[in-house]
Amino acid sequence: MNRGYIWKRLLRSFLSIMIIMLIVFTMIFTLVPRDNIFFEDSTYRKLSSKSDDKTEYVYSTWEKLGYLDYVRINDYCLSLYEAGSPEMSSAVEPDSKESQDFVELYKSQGYTVEQYLGSKRYYAYKDIPVIKRMGSWLSHLLVIDTPFSVQDEGNPDLERYIKLGKTPTGGLAVIGSGTTYKYLFYTDSHFPWIHQNFIRLNFGASYPTYQGLEVMRVLFQTQGTEVKRSVTFETGREAESGIIFGTLQYKPVLDRMDTKKFTDHYATYEVYRSQPSMIGTSFIMGIIAMILAYSLGLPFGLLMARHKDRLADKLGMVYIIFIIAVPSLAYIYLFRYLGTKLFGLPSVFTTYGPEDVRSWILPVISLALPSIASLMLWTRRYVVDQMSADYVKFAKAKGLSQGEIFRGHIFKNAIIPIAQGIPASLAVCITGAIITEAIYSVGGMGKMLPNAIKQYNNVMIVALAFMFSTVSVLSVLAGDIVLTKVDPRISLSEKAGRS
Amino acid sequence: MDMENTNLFEFAEFDELESEHIAAPRYSYWKSVWRTFFKNKFTVGVAILLLIIIAFALIQPMISGYSPIITPNINNASLKFVKPCKDHIFGTDHVGNEVFDAVWAGARNSIIISFICTAINMLVGIPIGALWGFSKKMDRWMIEVYNVISNVPFLLLAMILSYVLGAGMRSLIITMTCTEWIFVAYFIRTQVMIIRDREYNLASKCLGTGTWTMILKNILPYLISVIMTYVSREVPSLISYEVFLSYMGLGLGTTNASLGQSIAMYTSYMNGYPHLFWIPVSVLAIISISLYIVGQKLADAADPRTHM
Repeated sequence: MNRGYIWKRLLRSFLSIMIIMLIVFTMIFTLVPRDNIFFEDSTYRKLSSKSDDKTEYVYSTWEKLGYLDYVRINDYCLSLYEAGSPEMSSAVEPDSKESQDFVELYKSQGYTVEQYLGSKRYYAYKDIPVIKRMGSWLSHLLVIDTPFSVQDEGNPDLERYIKLGKTPTGGLAVIGSGTTYKYLFYTDSHFPWIHQNFIRLNFGASYPTYQGLEVMRVLFQTQGTEVKRSVTFETGREAESGIIFGTLQYKPVLDRMDTKKFTDHYATYEVYRSQPSMIGTSFIMGIIAMILAYSLGLPFGLLMARHKDRLADKLGMVYIIFIIAVPSLAYIYLFRYLGTKLFGLPSVFTTYGPEDVRSWILPVISLALPSIASLMLWTRRYVVDQMSADYVKFAKAKGLSQGEIFRGHIFKNAIIPIAQGIPASLAVCITGAIITEAIYSVGGMGKMLPNAIKQYNNVMIVALAFMFSTVSVLSVLAGDIVLTKVDPRISLSEKAGRS
Repeated sequence: MDMENTNLFEFAEFDELESEHIAAPRYSYWKSVWRTFFKNKFTVGVAILLLIIIAFALIQPMISGYSPIITPNINNASLKFVKPCKDHIFGTDHVGNEVFDAVWAGARNSIIISFICTAINMLVGIPIGALWGFSKKMDRWMIEVYNVISNVPFLLLAMILSYVLGAGMRSLIITMTCTEWIFVAYFIRTQVMIIRDREYNLASKCLGTGTWTMILKNILPYLISVIMTYVSREVPSLISYEVFLSYMGLGLGTTNASLGQSIAMYTSYMNGYPHLFWIPVSVLAIISISLYIVGQKLADAADPRTHM
């Protein structure tokens, strides 16, 4: 394996992802009419009668979402006078000298200056260029937790350290103080057993749907009802709670309940819930479907190749043609109909919920059907191509049986291009299946992107586009590496091949 | 030998031109393609069925004048949700329109869209893919272009195009072609890469053949059957794509009929009035499957190796 090649390729992949993000940013922020973001906003609708508040709300929301830079006359005057002073209250009025300065200053900087409809006071705004917008998104993307992350004026005595310790449930942990999270690293009995809070991805808070919730929490937070168990808090208090100690976060102002449970300022936490997160649901479903597809598609494809032009091959072809030619929407409905009529399986996921195995059967089968068909098709193709190779004739001449030739020789060679696709099929599990999840009403990732687009949730669109494209670009690279692992003859870089 | 027998023979003159002639059977590529194609009775049957369906889909909507926004029977409860019978071959839908008319008007638009899009994707994708596969210098940056284009969320793109251009045939065709061509090009690129370094191409290159001549005369004829296979999958997959976009509400818009729109619209009646869902789906399946089979058989016939 050529390490230099991989680094170069990683660098180019990173550039590709940046270009993808630039395109996505341009599309969202310049091509989608920006008034559309308020379609789903209930606060906006309530404000419609009071015009000044509405203007204020609209522009401050746009500023929050990174569309523009918004300056009120108040902000300008606050930099000159103290809040509440008599100069201040006269300066903000439209006929004051300060207002004239404000208009002149911001006009010269290229801002558009306008007056509120009611009070006639001035405000100014200027669009932020797409590149700058993306730059500020990028600069906030990675958050590294340090003992100096929390700057709280109300708590000057906050200790600042990082040390080894244990969680209340007995797992190993790296405990921080002055950090945003109390447990920077910890182990527990929940998947994936080892957790960390050192480095986090910060995509910003979702808006207008899932308002105020961080995108990462929307996607990764478990769903359903809280699962309570008896726990002993730091103060020795015993209670029924679903608390995940590992998620304890700094909370500036503690209430009475918090001081009963915790001895320090780390009092914000998440709880265990009964259902997997959105990304978890899609991933579990995708993985099972993928295992099913590979364990059925490969043997069936092999069987078709061994019985080429005979009954097994023809039956397989009928299935493949059916899957290719009939739209997925139609055959998912067909199989759902058959599953519910013949086996009494639930027609929607929510009937029994994710705790029941029966809920998963039909969605997983629907998801596996097309993958089985394409794996069958390509396995057959590759095996048939290998069957006339010289090494097969030689193996036959050596006296190997048909089965030995297929298992020991042909299959190993035919599997090479198929192995390349495995990382890509893993990556698809994360993005979720739009139609399958919609038809069975599964609470997974599939609905997130379409819904985010429909609801103008720009923060969510950007986050999803970034996650999906990163995973997909990296899986192409991983596929090529797998290719060189299963077949050492293949070299990715030109130079290594020539030497 | 006696005289009488020798008189029966004549001396033939030695013809230099005739002796140069090679007595191989006359071979015409396209004639052989058609001969191979028509040899199989099943294929001919499917092709005739396909032609009848296409002709019917093109002509019937002109007679019925169906449009989803014209609903004369919307207030007549007795004409709604009629099951298929003698007067209403495919039954009627939730606004009292004939499903028969809706399905054929939809089939017409779906077929037109998928054919136009396939043509555009192929016409753009094949030349770019051929050049891409041929030039190693181009490959290095085209692979990143591919990474970028194939990863821009297509739903977002479809949504934005429908804002900018408005819903309709034009924006749908642009949606279904503006990124799709890169997949055709990528496919062709891989195929070209496999055969570009074969001995006959190296020889041709040594003799000074230009890039385009090599692509057009040496490589593309070799790929005809592969390209035909791809086309036969592309047409049904684009119909499927159109169904998907309509299901997401990004299709032709409410004023135009299409099979995708019908299926998406009738889905909610699946339990109570199953004919509303299954009839458009079946028509769509028949069209897609016969298109696929005819395409596959044409691909087989287009491969010169099957002509002998």
